[in-house]
Amino acid sequence: MKETESKAETMDTQDGMAAKDAGLKVLGQDAPVQQGTTLAAARAELDTGAGWQGLDTAAAHPGFGRRIEQEFPAHAGEWVDPVSRRGFMKLMGASLAMAGLAGCTKQPDEPIYPYVKAPEDLVLGKPNYFATAFPFNTGALPLLVKSDAYRPIKIDGNPEHPMSQGGSDPLSQGSLLGLYDPDRSQHVLYHLEASSFPDFKKALIRDLAGMPGGQGLYILSTTITSPTLAAQWKDAQKRYPQARLIQYDPVNRDSARRASKAAFGDFYDAQYLVDKADVILSLDSDFLSGITHPGFVKLSREYADRRKLMDPSIEMNRLYAVESMPTTTGFKADHRLKLRASQVAAYARAIAAAAGAGSAGSSGNWTGEQQAFLAALAADLKANAGKCIVIPGEQQTPEVHLAAIAMNQALGNVGKTVVYTETVVPLPSIQLDDFKSLVADMNAGKVQWLLMLDVNPVYSSPVDLMFADALKKVPKTAQLGSHLDETAQVVDWHINDAHYLESWSDARAYDGTLSVVQPMIEPLYGGKSAHDVLQTLLDDPSRSSFDVVKANWQPLLAGKGNFDDAWRKVLHDGFAANTAFAPKALSANVAAALGAETQPVPGDDAIEIIFRPDPSIYDGRYSNNGWLQELPNPIVNNCWDNAVLMSGPTKVKLGLAESDVVEISLNGNKVRGSVLSIPGHPDNSFTLHLGYGRTHVGRVGAGMGFNAYAIRTSATPLFATGAIFKKTGDTYEIAVTKSHYSDERGPMALWGSAETGDLRSHSLEGDEAITRGIVRYATLEEFRKEPNFAHEKGVFPEDPERDNTLFANFPYDKNAWGLAIDQNSCVGCNACIISCYAENNIPVVGKHQVKTGRDMQWLRIDTYFEGDLQSPRAHFQPMMCQQCENAPCEEVCPVGATVHSPEGLNVMVYNRCVGTRYCSNNCPYKVRRFNFLLFSDYETESLKLMRNPDVTVRSRGVMEKCSYCLQRISAAKIEADKENRAIRDGEIVTACQQACPTNAIVFGNINDKNSRVYKIKNQPRNYGVVADLNTRPRTTYIAEVFNPNQALAGGAPVEHAPEHS
Amino acid sequence: MAQIFDRSSNALARMSLILTGLIVIALGVTLDQLQYSPWVTRQGQRADQPVPFSHKHHVQGLGIQCQYCHTTVERSSYAGIPPTKTCMNCHAQIWTNAALLEPVRRSWATGESIRWIRVHDLPDYVYFNHSIHVNKGIGCSSCHGRVDQMPIMYQENSLQMGWCLNCHRDPAKNLRPANEVYNMAWQGPSTRKPVWCGTAGDKDGVPTAQTVNCTTVDPSQVGARTASLDMLPPTDSPETHMLDIAAHPNGAAGPTGADNVNYTKFTDQESLGLFLLKQYHIRDPHELSSCETCHR
Repeated sequence: MKETESKAETMDTQDGMAAKDAGLKVLGQDAPVQQGTTLAAARAELDTGAGWQGLDTAAAHPGFGRRIEQEFPAHAGEWVDPVSRRGFMKLMGASLAMAGLAGCTKQPDEPIYPYVKAPEDLVLGKPNYFATAFPFNTGALPLLVKSDAYRPIKIDGNPEHPMSQGGSDPLSQGSLLGLYDPDRSQHVLYHLEASSFPDFKKALIRDLAGMPGGQGLYILSTTITSPTLAAQWKDAQKRYPQARLIQYDPVNRDSARRASKAAFGDFYDAQYLVDKADVILSLDSDFLSGITHPGFVKLSREYADRRKLMDPSIEMNRLYAVESMPTTTGFKADHRLKLRASQVAAYARAIAAAAGAGSAGSSGNWTGEQQAFLAALAADLKANAGKCIVIPGEQQTPEVHLAAIAMNQALGNVGKTVVYTETVVPLPSIQLDDFKSLVADMNAGKVQWLLMLDVNPVYSSPVDLMFADALKKVPKTAQLGSHLDETAQVVDWHINDAHYLESWSDARAYDGTLSVVQPMIEPLYGGKSAHDVLQTLLDDPSRSSFDVVKANWQPLLAGKGNFDDAWRKVLHDGFAANTAFAPKALSANVAAALGAETQPVPGDDAIEIIFRPDPSIYDGRYSNNGWLQELPNPIVNNCWDNAVLMSGPTKVKLGLAESDVVEISLNGNKVRGSVLSIPGHPDNSFTLHLGYGRTHVGRVGAGMGFNAYAIRTSATPLFATGAIFKKTGDTYEIAVTKSHYSDERGPMALWGSAETGDLRSHSLEGDEAITRGIVRYATLEEFRKEPNFAHEKGVFPEDPERDNTLFANFPYDKNAWGLAIDQNSCVGCNACIISCYAENNIPVVGKHQVKTGRDMQWLRIDTYFEGDLQSPRAHFQPMMCQQCENAPCEEVCPVGATVHSPEGLNVMVYNRCVGTRYCSNNCPYKVRRFNFLLFSDYETESLKLMRNPDVTVRSRGVMEKCSYCLQRISAAKIEADKENRAIRDGEIVTACQQACPTNAIVFGNINDKNSRVYKIKNQPRNYGVVADLNTRPRTTYIAEVFNPNQALAGGAPVEHAPEHS
Repeated sequence: MAQIFDRSSNALARMSLILTGLIVIALGVTLDQLQYSPWVTRQGQRADQPVPFSHKHHVQGLGIQCQYCHTTVERSSYAGIPPTKTCMNCHAQIWTNAALLEPVRRSWATGESIRWIRVHDLPDYVYFNHSIHVNKGIGCSSCHGRVDQMPIMYQENSLQMGWCLNCHRDPAKNLRPANEVYNMAWQGPSTRKPVWCGTAGDKDGVPTAQTVNCTTVDPSQVGARTASLDMLPPTDSPETHMLDIAAHPNGAAGPTGADNVNYTKFTDQESLGLFLLKQYHIRDPHELSSCETCHR
């Protein structure tokens, strides 16, 4: 039913985008109101010929949309927007209910269903914690899952794990909603009709009998991360030697694999020891953004640990970034160079040559800025030989990886800051080559049975391979999948997938440490895992995945005493201690592998297309995850859609404007997307994020954005040159959570103009943030000279005296909660935002509401761009309720719904709130969120299981905001009071702090002189944002310190004082 | 033309105006009172439970301790409703054929829960925690009334915010010794029935209930030793300490000095409440009545 709903919407218009276009345009203009329409005329207009079978049929009828527009012009957009269409229904329903029942507050009878036999270790009302791991193709992320009455309700990193130390990232945090996604596929289907898993097994085994040695059996799987699954495959191969396994993910590690094969003759993973590096060079490597980059959690923590400046014995590192699209890594770098993606390889070669590794390429045609950068960088690398790292980007070519291997070897970094180990995935392969041979075999009719495990190739395979056509030539196809996606529509068998929180498996983390993936909950819809499907091919087809995994661990835990004890310890701890990979002594013949040949660098004017996995929904597998869809992308903060990202000057030069829909053609394939400018992007180059434009995924993801896979070919999966674009004349607006468009104002507005040739532009917000001291920073040298730079008189506004207020000062004689945010450590990865979603039951509002400015995220990351937007410096600042001691919101609330607690919290009493929104108007930080419509989903059963029972699910008409995770404070207070002791430092951890991989956020009692937060806040770099308004915020920020190379100091804006020109 | 309205209608008009005002006021008062009435608060209402379980029979008649069924009351926010297993512990042996127990046996046989109706139902935006109240000397009967005298469970108090604040603003009037929390018949000290309380010295990290000892029997008399068994012995030598108390029941200085208990006699709730308020480290009313204590 739900699936047909979304289908109806998309099928009706062919292209989901067109539908939304129509809706959005209606919003902009006044819909023509027809006067005097007769009932008969309306009936005629709505006549479908076949009658309605329900509201969905009616909604799909174009006449219905027209009537709605005429009747409710303001809500027309909501009707078209699939997410807020539900909201609209709720709004109307709620109004009707209110009309009849206002004032009647008698509560209905509430039943209690006690256990029949209570589980022994369960104390209702108290959570249990279980260790597991989030399997991902760049290495598993070890987790500790909070479980309330055995329902997982919060995911966090495992603090005891040697690699992650408790860090997590947005994708792993968001996977909780993936479990409870109401649109998950719930049944085994045969030709989209209900069937069963035993039927599937019977059919497969019957067919296999006629396939000697498994000839014609092909398995197409997502990257296998489980050693047990790999072992199962090896067993299967013994039985069916002719069967073939192909692993393919649209975003894969092929470049690293090819480079490793060329340099070392086999597949190895590079592990970077960032904590030991004084100088780090990122070659288009986004290792500070998320687990799309292997080892993100560890690399970002080690990067930040060297930048905290708390311990004078720890020397600050220096990060150089060469990148082809703006990422947080680039903007956290001390020096950033934007470079067209196609030039990075040649530039990497040039750096390698200058650093003494291999000979220079021919294309040394660099600009002055690029040459200066190169010279200074090479000198710095050489001066820090053995104490530097070169990290190549996963989305760059094998050549870049080879150059990095060469440099790391020539600089003597191997064994010191970089080590080579076995691969984290058990069956490494060059995925694109395998996939191409699979499609060739399919076309040649060699494939009898194609078993697809957690892949969606109909949607995401390279467009030139025409996978969907090849699939028609395969007699029998089956897919194990989490949603009824594009592939599920055309296969014979669809098996509903078990979520990783529902199934047994295992995986290795970045450092090689083994973890068991243990289920947190019985499969909600009886889903099966890849283990169950592969087991079908083996002797004992019904063996449970638990038995399979446990048996496979017997040898792994040999020599650790009694197996059952060791196994229980692994399950308890979440990992098997001392199973990290030992470094391999490898020597690469890089000079030979790198070769002398260079690809010709295309001219600067050719339009280049860069394909990147989306920072939130990755390759599309998280499309139906509302938290991740609504999560603003780092840098430009767009959500719910991908965009044609380009630099401002390119936009002006090509005669485009924001929201223009352009048609991009690449080798004859076409896609239409909307233009969005992003500061710091190289010119004549468009970045397209993958994963959008889904047609079949569910109510949240279907129809959002455009499908960049439509122009991605197997020849150029990373980036392609020579695109042609055409302005279509349509516009399509993208939801941007920050005031993106004010970046276009200011003294040098609109990216200059094409006529004058002056394409410089400034961000108004960025300029204001610098002048008003919202962000404060200095260079390392300036900081050493003047540690108190953040409070320099005359430069930054001063905080007023404590008594300079009309209101009485509250005494805080016991606990006084405070939060410190180290801006040097914050890498803007967004993990905290998703963590906050889960902890605080924050609703998803949908694209239309985000555009209206009604997003409900309690925590946001503000990005301020400083300097010319062609290559700015960016500052990331997590912003949530600052819990002002002198709170402006409290003074204006007419009903006392926001009040001050004795411990200094600014608390919201939802039940008192009448929704005047005065508090929000008076808040200088703009951190209060008003629930305009009934944003919380009270109906969907599966989402009820996910909610944090300790936090109220807020209703319509109520203001809400960050509470410093009050529920956690209360729980700790009660435990401490029961035990008659003070609350220990570190006992209360806020959700954002817990998720942060770099420990940028620290919470605690500022009255306790020994607490970590006190020590951090006691630094001279501590300052409050707009504290000159006498708000006395409890959340304070630690000013940034950059560590620029003196040789390049002129090239980057490193002055901390604003230029008053 | 004759006047339509006689002069006397003026009085009528005035009267009706006043009457309208009165009716409006009466309506307001009625609606307001309705909010406090048992119709809304459900005080005293006996819900139609699947099994007419008698607390009176089980508590007063059989002497079953509260925690036998409400197992998590000291550890968790939720006191716990017993699983069917708890009923079957006894009813597999006695009253095995009682018709009243049919739903229990059916639940046990089918594995389906007994569907009780919640009697004490706070609104969902109130985060009440049993454990902290029980640990800090608020007795069951302070909120739930004389459960031991209720054949069918009902709600004794209104459970409205004003009722909660009544105590949160002045907890002393309801505090009782922690070892009397489950005593349904506890009435507080009086001159006729005094209470002796002593403390073995406050220790950080040791639950307050274990450092304060109270008894209703004069500690200088024999029998005090039984009462003092509730108290956690000091860390080093438990045996000696027990003997100390027994040997020096009225608080005379003993060999271990600070570990000794100095008993004070209380004859009224106010002074006992103030003593316990201090000993149990009850947060001050300003904190206890702050919104975030119960709402979040």
